[in-house]
Amino acid sequence: MEFRWDLVWSSMPTLLSGAKLTVQLTSIAVFFGIIIGTFAGIARLSKGPLRFLAAAYIDVIRGTPLLVQAFIIFYGIPGLIHRPIPAYLAGVLSLSINSGAYVGEIVRSGIQSVDKGQAEAALSLGMSNYQTMRHIILPQAFRRIVPPLGNEFIALLKDSSLVSVIALEELVRKGQIIIGRTFRPFEVWLAVAMIYFVMTFTVSRLVNYVEKRMNVNA
Amino acid sequence: MPNTPILEVRNLHKSFGNLHVLKGVSLKIARGEVVVVIGPSGSGKSTLLRCLNYLETPSSGEIIFQGEPIDPRTNLKQVRQEMGMVFQSFNLFPHMKVLHNVTLAPNLVRKTASKTAEEAALELLDKVGMAEKAHSYPPELSGGQQQRVAIARALAMQPEMMLFDEPTSALDPEMIGEVLDVMKKLALEGRTMMVVTHEMGFAREVGSRVIFMDEGVIVEEGTPQELFENPKETRTKEFLSKIL
Repeated sequence: MEFRWDLVWSSMPTLLSGAKLTVQLTSIAVFFGIIIGTFAGIARLSKGPLRFLAAAYIDVIRGTPLLVQAFIIFYGIPGLIHRPIPAYLAGVLSLSINSGAYVGEIVRSGIQSVDKGQAEAALSLGMSNYQTMRHIILPQAFRRIVPPLGNEFIALLKDSSLVSVIALEELVRKGQIIIGRTFRPFEVWLAVAMIYFVMTFTVSRLVNYVEKRMNVNA
Repeated sequence: MPNTPILEVRNLHKSFGNLHVLKGVSLKIARGEVVVVIGPSGSGKSTLLRCLNYLETPSSGEIIFQGEPIDPRTNLKQVRQEMGMVFQSFNLFPHMKVLHNVTLAPNLVRKTASKTAEEAALELLDKVGMAEKAHSYPPELSGGQQQRVAIARALAMQPEMMLFDEPTSALDPEMIGEVLDVMKKLALEGRTMMVVTHEMGFAREVGSRVIFMDEGVIVEEGTPQELFENPKETRTKEFLSKIL
């Protein structure tokens, strides 16, 4: 059996439309993941009862598979609330909630990496805890966590393939559909892999660029 | 109330776990005084200073600033605005230009308009000889330069009192002078200052009162002349004989 390049090329339009959804899902999830993660990271370092809530969230999400989380949201919760959750929403929800836990740990370590003297200097000037976090700690923490955040973005880009199980036609699902039609798994999976690689490689270059620009000062 | 002290500390105790660092410190500081605190490492002098603006929460005791007891639940932020602090490790904000370091707190806390804050900041930077570096980032500056900016940053809040926590201990020897000169200038202007330092020359020349601390208590205090020329306590004598 010979390798058919023509199949690789002819699958591209369909696969790329799947890749578009992959990028969309991942970008939205990273956006919400950063927001959730920032709150979770700060909450974990706070002194109030929120600390335990944040720790529980982070532990449970990181300690269970994304696949199972997606199943619970797409198949489990609708039974509880007696109405279906659209696949797209379920996909975004599970990826965001999952990413938020990982980003939470990244943000926590970023905040902890900022010297204690920074907060002391800000507080000694009469700044509030919020102002200190917002103007002094977070800007410095975020500069430092650009590389791990980039890694998280790349990991999520790949992990988003798991939501193909809840009927979302992203890149992997599109691949499966084409294989169902053509019975040529090798060509199609290779094409899928190529597209994933181009995406992750682009993101990693982008992260490098941002990192270099941010390191110019501080 | 001209005779009310600007700051009064009553029976201050501070423990870190089992370590009893401050064991009942009481003192009063009058407006315009320059109080220099000296003593061996681990004597509690930095802890005392850090308790004054509650960077460390005292275990017990009372701190009265401008006639009012400091309470973290009510007036702490106001008190901190009036108590400028200069740290051993400068603690400038590395992600902001020098000028922004100085204008930030007046802007956020005092709600000073940006333009007014900038003009005031440039004036202060000029005073500490750092106006030329207004648009540099702190990591581009030497230690002495950073510390002078840190002093300007604290002054920008127009505090009633300045706290200096070993401001020259992290500096290369050739940079100590430039920072002490700025501090001396402030003292001559009549600013109320409390300075923890190992610079005995500064204490002798600029201090209006010197406090010697050891093992968490004030052992002896007096004018620089009394304390350096004529110490009464054995512990003071021993300490001075080691360092002078």
